[in-house]
Amino acid sequence: MKKTLAVMLAVLLVPAAIMGCGSNSASGNADAGGAKYVFLEEDLGVESYAIGFRVGDEELAEQVSGAVQALVLDGTYAKIGENYPEIKDYLCLTPEGIDESTLPAKGSGDSSFTFKHGFDLDYPPYSYRQDDGTVGGFDVELCQAVCEYLGWGYEAVPFNWDAKDMELNAKSCDCIWSGFTKEGREDDYTWGITYSNNTQGILVPADSDIKTLADLKGKIVGVQTATSAYDMLEDSQKELADTFSELKVYETYTVAYNDLKAGAIDAIAIDMTAGSFLIADDNK
Amino acid sequence: MSFSTMLYTMGEGMLRTCAIFILTILFSLPLGLVIMFLRRSRFFIVRTITKFYIAVMRGTPLMLQLLMWYFGPYYLFGMNIRGYRFAAIIIGFSMNYAAYFAEIYRGGMETIPQGQYEAAEVLGYGKAQTFFKIILPQVVKAILPSVTNEIITLVKDTSLAFTLAYNEMFSLAKQIAASQTSFVPFVVAGVFYFVANYAVAFTMEFIEKKFDYYK
Repeated sequence: MKKTLAVMLAVLLVPAAIMGCGSNSASGNADAGGAKYVFLEEDLGVESYAIGFRVGDEELAEQVSGAVQALVLDGTYAKIGENYPEIKDYLCLTPEGIDESTLPAKGSGDSSFTFKHGFDLDYPPYSYRQDDGTVGGFDVELCQAVCEYLGWGYEAVPFNWDAKDMELNAKSCDCIWSGFTKEGREDDYTWGITYSNNTQGILVPADSDIKTLADLKGKIVGVQTATSAYDMLEDSQKELADTFSELKVYETYTVAYNDLKAGAIDAIAIDMTAGSFLIADDNK
Repeated sequence: MSFSTMLYTMGEGMLRTCAIFILTILFSLPLGLVIMFLRRSRFFIVRTITKFYIAVMRGTPLMLQLLMWYFGPYYLFGMNIRGYRFAAIIIGFSMNYAAYFAEIYRGGMETIPQGQYEAAEVLGYGKAQTFFKIILPQVVKAILPSVTNEIITLVKDTSLAFTLAYNEMFSLAKQIAASQTSFVPFVVAGVFYFVANYAVAFTMEFIEKKFDYYK
């Protein structure tokens, strides 16, 4: 019995050891050759990230949007952005043009109200599990700052992305705020402020012969299900997607990225911020 | 993220996974017995309703059932479902597994020849006495391997609880894998499931030996 157990454990640990070695050698190569994975210069399109509220929740949307603008004025917004280098360049709000008199005053919210922030924990760097195991990300920090500004309580509701609409409609959360794309969903939610832009791009190995979107003809491209990149390839970039030999749809980009590393697919369609986060370790 | 932080974070998830597992076993094993009796009822209508219940529980994905148990009260009756999440998960798992257990129990019951009931009656045993003293000890023995199968499936099915945003171990593994762009959390999750199921199999084998009373 003990012998069998030992053999089984050994079998289980072998892949772990191989994986450990794999990631070590990958970073070793990167040291020698610079960036291992790059974005194509051509992109698939730009989208905006905004805060989605239940249809009809105009008052709440206005209050939160006002608070976000107030945080832009007092510099908190930019300061939080500093913590997330992948996002910094895509933050679109600036103090110019914000009329301070229309914004809610600090501490003007109902202090007995707890704002329930609905988000996906699989979406770094907007909302994810951080190195110390706690919940964090740009959206989480900004939402916490909004609640602090208004004097509300904050409650994190890390939901399953597939069930986001049910959670919102059943009032388990008060908003969807997790790198949430506005385009194509304009009528489905009452929208708060657009606080970040993002560009959808194509990620390829640096030594790949794919240099332009046209080179993707006959290639296998990976994408995560229920993302904007996926929606674009199904809609506005459908013609491009039709030139691929296959569009492989993954549950998470983590798996797609490992497939790219292993050479099983040729490219990944992903937004620039999430993509930069994905390749950050290997490009060090 | 250091390996120890990863283990610590996933460890919390393991506790949540174990909570689902233990509570589901606790509720579904006896509930299965009740459903089995209803399924074998003398009354046609009771039998038919139970049959339909089992068909739905086995015939639809557990994931959909979980969504239904949690969001159903809100969408059907407009109820406030705040704080109901965990209860919905336990109800969902228990009701589903009870249906499977009921059929396993029934399978065991069918193996008992009619003659034994007649013999018990002749010897003056009451209905309850017959069941608990004569039938049940034989049934339990016969169904243990199938029950072990089902329990092992349950250990792995706990990952479905994330459908309702319950951060059990496997969802944490996915989150850490996303933020660390690494497969290691999945390997850790795999080892956990394997060890947990090995423990289940070991315990069940022990129980099987305890029931080895007709040799």
